[in-house]
Amino acid sequence: MLFRHECKKIVCSAAFIVYCVLSLLFFFTNYWTDCSDEVSCSGQGLIAVEDHDRIMDGATNSLMGDFASNRYECYPYGFYKAVHLKEKKREKVRSYLEEITGVSGEDFDKLLETGDTYYEGFSTKELYQFHDIPVKEGFSYDRFVEIMADVDDIVGGGSIYNPEGLMYTFSLVPMAEEDIKAEQDDFYKEDKITRGLARLFCDYTGIDLTILPVFAAAWLTAADKKRRMHELVYTRDISSLRLVLTRYGALLFTMAIPVLAMMILSLIQALVVYKGHSMDMLAFFKLPVVWLLPNLMFTTAVGVLVTEIFSSPVAILSQLAIWFYSVMAGSMQLSGNLSRFALVPRHNTPFERGVFLAEQNEFIFSRVFWTVISMVLMLLAVAVYSAKRGGRFNGIRLFGKDSIFRRKA
Amino acid sequence: MDNKIVIRKMNKFYGRKQALFDIDLTIEQGMFGLLGRNGAGKTTLMKTIAALHPMKSGEVTVCGVPVGEAAKIRSMIGYLPQDFSMYPNMRTDEALDYLGALSGIPSKERKQRVEALLKKVNLYEHRNKKVKQLSGGMKRRLGIAQALLHDPKVLIVDEPTAGLDPEERIRFRNLLCETAEERIVILSTHIVGDVESTCENIAIMDEGKILWRGTVRELLENARGHVYTANIEKQYMAQVKKEYIVTGMVAQAEYTTVTIVSDAEPDLPNAVLTEPDLEGAYMYCLRSNGCDMKGGEE
Repeated sequence: MLFRHECKKIVCSAAFIVYCVLSLLFFFTNYWTDCSDEVSCSGQGLIAVEDHDRIMDGATNSLMGDFASNRYECYPYGFYKAVHLKEKKREKVRSYLEEITGVSGEDFDKLLETGDTYYEGFSTKELYQFHDIPVKEGFSYDRFVEIMADVDDIVGGGSIYNPEGLMYTFSLVPMAEEDIKAEQDDFYKEDKITRGLARLFCDYTGIDLTILPVFAAAWLTAADKKRRMHELVYTRDISSLRLVLTRYGALLFTMAIPVLAMMILSLIQALVVYKGHSMDMLAFFKLPVVWLLPNLMFTTAVGVLVTEIFSSPVAILSQLAIWFYSVMAGSMQLSGNLSRFALVPRHNTPFERGVFLAEQNEFIFSRVFWTVISMVLMLLAVAVYSAKRGGRFNGIRLFGKDSIFRRKA
Repeated sequence: MDNKIVIRKMNKFYGRKQALFDIDLTIEQGMFGLLGRNGAGKTTLMKTIAALHPMKSGEVTVCGVPVGEAAKIRSMIGYLPQDFSMYPNMRTDEALDYLGALSGIPSKERKQRVEALLKKVNLYEHRNKKVKQLSGGMKRRLGIAQALLHDPKVLIVDEPTAGLDPEERIRFRNLLCETAEERIVILSTHIVGDVESTCENIAIMDEGKILWRGTVRELLENARGHVYTANIEKQYMAQVKKEYIVTGMVAQAEYTTVTIVSDAEPDLPNAVLTEPDLEGAYMYCLRSNGCDMKGGEE
């Protein structure tokens, strides 16, 4: 009964209506548009292949160019940053390049000058030198990856030398006809269409579910206080654990409703577009539960906990920061980015089934990880609520006359 | 299990500021009035009894249960805060049903209790109205209904009549008296009239301390010999108000009949001793305890 009451409160709130409208808006402008016709693999253009020689050549020559101009493009926390290294760090990068190329001293200086072709930087629109220097014969790929990881650290992280992105930056090749056919076959035969589409659906919806639920969660958590009803609730019989978790459950349930509606719409769209093909009718109801539920759980838990602690819209700001970082962290690799701790896994294609399956264990790990984190956050929220209820904690005010900054001043 | 609230040497701090000082009080079944000016510490005391505030030291037991056992205390206490509201878009009966669910009352029993309480507080005809459509008096009565939902042994009402019109105020007092027949009801107020017409036992608080405790009769007895009436010509009124604590004024054609609280016989023509009313007795109590009295200095 209490669950029903809480659901009704949420569904009747402006925050929930805004959540539904934005969710559907993003759905129709992204997934729905992309999948309104039969998807074609030929449009994919390039494909990342794990060709170690290609990766080492591409990354080495790019690094030579960056070293020569002493300008490195980085995206720490998703923001562009041009990095210029000081002498000591430049020397370190130089020593790595000498190790990789097997050329040192004056010979290396001469090599640097061989760059005669220039290319335009992606963000900066500045001209960079392009080199064509071979990697030392028999150079170990493992050692190369170690060096690249260190170079990424030296330049501050988020660079194209991050080992996780090397293949997707330096080893892109046009898809061969047989590759395209194989991908198409996988899509129709192995993925039964809807499994591939469900991955694309989850990719888009995961981004939304990592930010939008925080609004409703913050609203519901602050509602008692805002309506001057908190003391009536505090003095009831119900345990803090049951109350906070019931409200959390109601938030998850109600906010899953528009997602369920989008799943059904996606299935209907697939049935219309791929009429006559064999499909997995449950695909839209299986993968999204595993993929999206941890995002919904985490975002909602952050909304509840941070609002309990700060009694202000800080939850929205903090989740915006987490969202921005998580989405930007995966922005350099839009497909097959299913790393172990990725809050927002990326696989922005209905194809590349093999890439997805290869990363499946990492993907499952990340889903379990964020589910556990969400539960821990909710247990903390219960503890905070219980302390507030007994008057042992009154929340941290960042704004207004009771602000901690004002009190300190 | 004894049916009383026992408070012993209770102290409460907000940060470094002490809000309650060595409170000693025993509250037994029936209506109990806690009288005091705004900021006297009444709400803090009420909230401590209701397990909403922790205390620094001392001991508080409600029907034998220490307030530290918050879960048990919550099941025994019904609380109507001074400043409360409910979800404005909920229906009246729905709001009660929601709070009943939070009290863990089973669905069937809850339905019966909500209906009975709405009838008791004369809101049954308004059960389908949204909370935001109720008047101030109706909301207060709804507040009492929610506090009684789980049939508590103790009912705590904090400034319940503030802002109500006289008719609603009387209706509310009667409602409280009815509920006090079978439980402890603590009425915290700064309005002397509320206590006068409902409570036998009272305590007076000021600046976090209990100044006086006993029956209404004892308080009146305490003030006997210190309350006077006098007829004052209008041009002397300002001076009288400055020098004495004036608890009542009735304007006549040529003079004003004033009621004055004073330790000694006032130096006024035709001043006569009179039987104290509760307001006068309360003012005398504050004065005799050295409280800062600024009331008559207009």
